[in-house]
Amino acid sequence: MNNYAGLVTRALAFAIDAAIVDLTGIAVGVVVGLALSVLNTPDDVDKALLAAGGVIFVLWTVGYFVVFWSATGETPGNRVMRIRVQCPDGRTLTRRTAALRLVALGLAAIPLLAGFVPVLFDRHRRALQDFVARSVVVRVPG
Amino acid sequence: MGLIGYVLRPPLALAESVCLAALDAVLAAPFTDEAVRRVLASGALDRALDEALAGPLVDALARDLVRHGVPERLARELIAAGIVDEVVQSAELEKGVDQAMETHLVDAVVGRLHESDELWRLVAEIAESPAVTDAIGRQGVGFAGQVAGQVRAESERADDGLERLARRLLGRSPRPAVE
Repeated sequence: MNNYAGLVTRALAFAIDAAIVDLTGIAVGVVVGLALSVLNTPDDVDKALLAAGGVIFVLWTVGYFVVFWSATGETPGNRVMRIRVQCPDGRTLTRRTAALRLVALGLAAIPLLAGFVPVLFDRHRRALQDFVARSVVVRVPG
Repeated sequence: MGLIGYVLRPPLALAESVCLAALDAVLAAPFTDEAVRRVLASGALDRALDEALAGPLVDALARDLVRHGVPERLARELIAAGIVDEVVQSAELEKGVDQAMETHLVDAVVGRLHESDELWRLVAEIAESPAVTDAIGRQGVGFAGQVAGQVRAESERADDGLERLARRLLGRSPRPAVE
């Protein structure tokens, strides 16, 4: 019964991952910003660099989750909380399925996090992104 | 050995035997113990000892003790006989240490150590040694692991509690067991 990770555990794991992704992005942004402040670049270039930075951050975020989910099923946050994203038969997700799951994760958060509520009622504790990607989040024995 | 020695050997041997026999007779005689007691009571021995300790005898004795390794041999014997353990565990020693700690000696020693550059260099070397840094690292990782374990246990309880609450609010039965 307790093989599947619940809402609180998954939220904590995601919070750790979000902190890693955001802090890395902020650190890189600060370093690049300081470097650019030394150079006297035109406004247009600044805007272009800002847009590029945004795109790079999105790619970094997508890459982070897709790579970890499709490689071992465990992001660093998942590893701390000892949970793993996988197919119901135990296989790891493909990159395509992992990307799909990430998109569904965003969609689940949009309507006031309503997409995560099924975790409380589903017998496999699945959220919207799990239904979409046909995945489950299980506890890893310690 | 010459002819004289050859000729004198038997009478010398006889004289030696006679002297030893006389000494044995004196030692076994009843008045010997009384004579020893009187000598000890007279203070003559104290004076003789005082004279000897004031002279070069002590220095010569100390040199000989060191030369023959007497302290080491003595320590070995004392350790082997368990006497050192007895002394270390004795209440008298504890009391003596307590008294020494109450004096200004400890403060003076600590003050000297505190001012010693060598001591701080030694402390720095020990602190930077691989054994110490490894131990601190292991302890840090162990502590982080303990905290993470505690968080995991709490989160599992919270998972179940939140789920039970949500199901109760909506009037649903508890989640069925799943393999």
